[in-house]
Amino acid sequence: MKIVWKRYDKNGPGSVKMIPEETDDLWIAYNLVSRGDIVMAVTVRKVLREGASGGRDAERVKLKLEIKIESVDYDKEGSVLRLRGKNILQNEHVKIGQFHTLEIERHRPFVLRKDVWDSLAVDALQQAANPAASADLAVAVMQEGLAHIFLVGKSVTTTRSRIEASIPRKHGPGIAGYESALNKFFENVLQAFLKHVDFNVVRCAVIASPGFTKDQFHKYLLLEAERRQLRPIIENKSRILLVHTTSGYKHNLREVLDAPTVMNLIKDTKAAQEVRALKEFFDMLSNEPDRACYGPRHVEVAHERMAIQTLLITDDLFRNADIPTRKKYVDLVSSVKDLGGIALIFSSMHVSGEQLTQLTGIAAILRFPLPELEDIEM
Amino acid sequence: MPRKVKYGVDFDIDEEDDDDVWTDYSDNESNVEVEEIENTFKADDCTKADDCTKAGIWRCSICTFDNDEGIVACDICGVFRHPMVNIHSNGNKEAAVPNKFNACPSDDFVSSSNHFSKVTLKDNFEELSSSEVVRNKEKLNVKPKTSELESSFVQLEKDEQLSICENTRSSAVEAKSENMMCSLDKQSVGADSKCSTNQIKAEIATRRSQYRPEKWMNGNQEGTLMQLNLAIVGHVDSGKSTLSGRLLNLLGRISEKEMRKFEKEAKLKGKGSFAYAWALDESAEERERGITMTVAVAYFSSKKYHVVVLDSPGHRDFVPNMINGANQADAAILVIDASVGAFEAGMDGSRGQTREHAQLIRSFGVDQVIVAINKIDVVEYSKERFDSIKGQLGAFLRGCGFKDSFLTWVPISAMENQNLVTAASDVRLSSWYKGPFLLDAVDSLQPPIRDVSKPLIMPICDVIKSRSVGQVAANGKVEAGALRCGLKVLVMPSGDSATVRSLERDSQPCDIAKAGDNVVVCLQGIDVSHVMAGGVLCHPDFPVAVATHLELKVLMLDVAAPVLVGSQMEFHIHHSQEAATVVRILSLLDSKTGKVSKKAPRCLTAKQSALIEVMLDGAVCVEEFANCRALGRVFLRAYGKTAAVGIVTRVL
Ligand SMILES: Nc1nc2c(ncn2[C@@H]2O[C@H](COP(=O)(O)OP(=O)(O)OP(=O)(O)O)[C@@H](O)[C@H]2O)c(=O)[nH]1
Ligand SMILES: [Mg+2]
Repeated sequence: MKIVWKRYDKNGPGSVKMIPEETDDLWIAYNLVSRGDIVMAVTVRKVLREGASGGRDAERVKLKLEIKIESVDYDKEGSVLRLRGKNILQNEHVKIGQFHTLEIERHRPFVLRKDVWDSLAVDALQQAANPAASADLAVAVMQEGLAHIFLVGKSVTTTRSRIEASIPRKHGPGIAGYESALNKFFENVLQAFLKHVDFNVVRCAVIASPGFTKDQFHKYLLLEAERRQLRPIIENKSRILLVHTTSGYKHNLREVLDAPTVMNLIKDTKAAQEVRALKEFFDMLSNEPDRACYGPRHVEVAHERMAIQTLLITDDLFRNADIPTRKKYVDLVSSVKDLGGIALIFSSMHVSGEQLTQLTGIAAILRFPLPELEDIEM
Repeated sequence: MPRKVKYGVDFDIDEEDDDDVWTDYSDNESNVEVEEIENTFKADDCTKADDCTKAGIWRCSICTFDNDEGIVACDICGVFRHPMVNIHSNGNKEAAVPNKFNACPSDDFVSSSNHFSKVTLKDNFEELSSSEVVRNKEKLNVKPKTSELESSFVQLEKDEQLSICENTRSSAVEAKSENMMCSLDKQSVGADSKCSTNQIKAEIATRRSQYRPEKWMNGNQEGTLMQLNLAIVGHVDSGKSTLSGRLLNLLGRISEKEMRKFEKEAKLKGKGSFAYAWALDESAEERERGITMTVAVAYFSSKKYHVVVLDSPGHRDFVPNMINGANQADAAILVIDASVGAFEAGMDGSRGQTREHAQLIRSFGVDQVIVAINKIDVVEYSKERFDSIKGQLGAFLRGCGFKDSFLTWVPISAMENQNLVTAASDVRLSSWYKGPFLLDAVDSLQPPIRDVSKPLIMPICDVIKSRSVGQVAANGKVEAGALRCGLKVLVMPSGDSATVRSLERDSQPCDIAKAGDNVVVCLQGIDVSHVMAGGVLCHPDFPVAVATHLELKVLMLDVAAPVLVGSQMEFHIHHSQEAATVVRILSLLDSKTGKVSKKAPRCLTAKQSALIEVMLDGAVCVEEFANCRALGRVFLRAYGKTAAVGIVTRVL
């Protein structure tokens, strides 16, 4: 995200002009804009005009609008943000109070005005502007007969391709069928890999699987690259990593991000922090169950006792909340920080965030055991 | 959830004349789609093979077998050697065995499928009509319980009664309770649809209970042995494939010539000790690494059984394949590596597969296990070692719910051929071991109970599309009912119907396949792409459910990471596998009584048993455990370990 200028008081009103550069930034913008905010951007609107002949012509005109937001919609597929609200800027084509939907796409600047820039919004903005926080990893998670290709960005993981094939058993008369089906499957994965992995964008590409599938595919990929002179693959051979996972489903992405070789590359990124924190939470839950809790009620109690060491919370909770609830969570985050704890806001568009969302969206690792939580209804 | 339900047709009319049903069932003669196998790949390999000549050997241009320098014509197919091939003088010494995971496979290897010679044993035996073979299950349950784990396993099995009650409840009541439990977020679809699915469910359940098998299904099959699906399981490298290969060789299923060929090839690859394993490890990758990756199926006959060998992979990464391919087992041989350190590695809490496999086969429903303590040659046929392993492992197996009386302990050496199909010849073993040899122990297994009189259910383990078979064929074990040529079956989950064109058992055509039989079913009148592994062949009037939302009763295994609402796991059921999310933890159950001990716990930890709900990413064919055990057993895995085993209590 490019921040053009910012004029705001912390916990006070102000505006920021920004330009989303990557698709990821749209997700950040999505989390930043909430109901009641004011957004100004250039847009195109169809207007009706009296034509010379007396008939009415529809014409598309470019104009600058400022709208008070009523709803925000994020389109993951098309990578656009749709902001709907009432116009507040007098204009020759659009009356004040008329509804309009602004479409924010990459490279399209806009100004966001908020009554209150709370600490969360400020943090999100800072993070968005920090290029080091971006993971930009391409990952192929596979097992025999199933493969997914993911792009892991700063705060969004997208599934670019899913390849499925039925591979017959290797034995008896089917042995030739097995090997040709496996090769066909690898070919399909290779095609998807070529299409979706852009080495100019990603730091590295990971091939992950249980067993030997990753090695087999890696071999196939390099052989075919030589044979067909696939420059991007040949030139970036050294940027392809192999990682062991325990199966080939999407949720195994957590094992990829946690693998030492990958972790080394991305340790400062949001995605990596999230994976580590969630893993810590689960480890705590299995080793010292009284020092881990989840669910709003339990976390609240733990906070009252000043027990929270690490707070894990998804951006979902803030975004979908009404103003008082959002304020409650913002206060929780800052007060955990004030007490020397860590607060991590998970992107619900990453695997770990997805999992945290399933787990009520909020969890905490505690400084000391709170066995009494067991008896409090969740 | 698309379901095809045929109403009104009662299947339990006493058929005086079989032929009536017959004509009714074979009226559909549609076109058969034939998928051709691609030969290009193989051909490719052949040319590649031709080009490269290894030092000291020459490769036959026809069968690709690697022959020794001195031989003029191919050892296998008799083809003369190409006159232009270079002759190198130094032989290829056996290379050091590479590390399994880092091994760099050479790419000119061509696998050759082997054809086991067919042996028809016409031994005299007692024909056991499957419906008569009923072991008293109740008796098993009365025995004193030795540990918590055991009783919870038993508890899982006992569930049947409870669920049957639930099924016969009126649909209205069920719909009501369903609605009450419905949380706000997943409403809207309305009670109506719920109600009607329940009605269908109830209807199928009643019809299922009224189902009467047809006459032909119970007919005796003269001259055939009862099939026994025998899983060979155990920790990696314990010698499962070597043992299986040995047995096949000793029982005449692999000829000496083939054996010599394996030996030679294995030696050339620097894997001389894996010669017997090569009979089962057929893919290039497996042979290269000396590791079994997917379950291999082979057949041999003992005195009493026609044994279907399911040689499982032992490596931790391939446990999913082991579950997928071996869950149809009736009994199992648990192979233990007796050498010092190896047995201990297999028993390691979090990394040893001896434990994991034992727990898995228990939850496959296997109760009879032969524990083959292999590589006893390595420990000088020591009785002390045998006894010490038996002591430690015995305690663990009892903890898993196995009964002492159903365990047989046999010391063997697959390598030295000791105590396999005859009593041990080495005095170091025969001096102290007086029990049965391995094959004897197999013959002493009790015949498994078969559900012949229920409507047909056959989970599809593998689909074969090849020219030689003519059309699409499904391979699997008939779990309930029976099949015969001309029968019309429903193929789930697609819901299409097909006609059985022919049946094959151990590559031999047969007329009828009954519950328990592992068969290849050639189908006609169906789109090839609609038959898939993980699907089910069933009786047209009794379609199995296809669902994504299930209620399960699970038992957490002892090494499991905690399971919470939102936990993402791999879900295994018969031959299918899906990603799953735990959406609700309903209650903790007391492992002794099975009663609810705590409602809505915040998480599940090791050894607990509980009622949970899961949501799958994709639909699977499933039945409540009470209706069909094979389609109601589930296995949940996460982080490379089996976290929980369980049964389906409700299809939601
Ligand atoms: N000394 C000795 N070695 C044996 C014996 N049985 C098997 N082996 C050796 O053990 C090694 C592993 O044998 P496999 O049969 O591949 O083992 P496996 O259990 O099938 O292994 P996976 O399928 O990969 O789990 C081979 O090198 C065998 O030669 C035995 O009785 N004695
Ligand atoms: Mg093996």
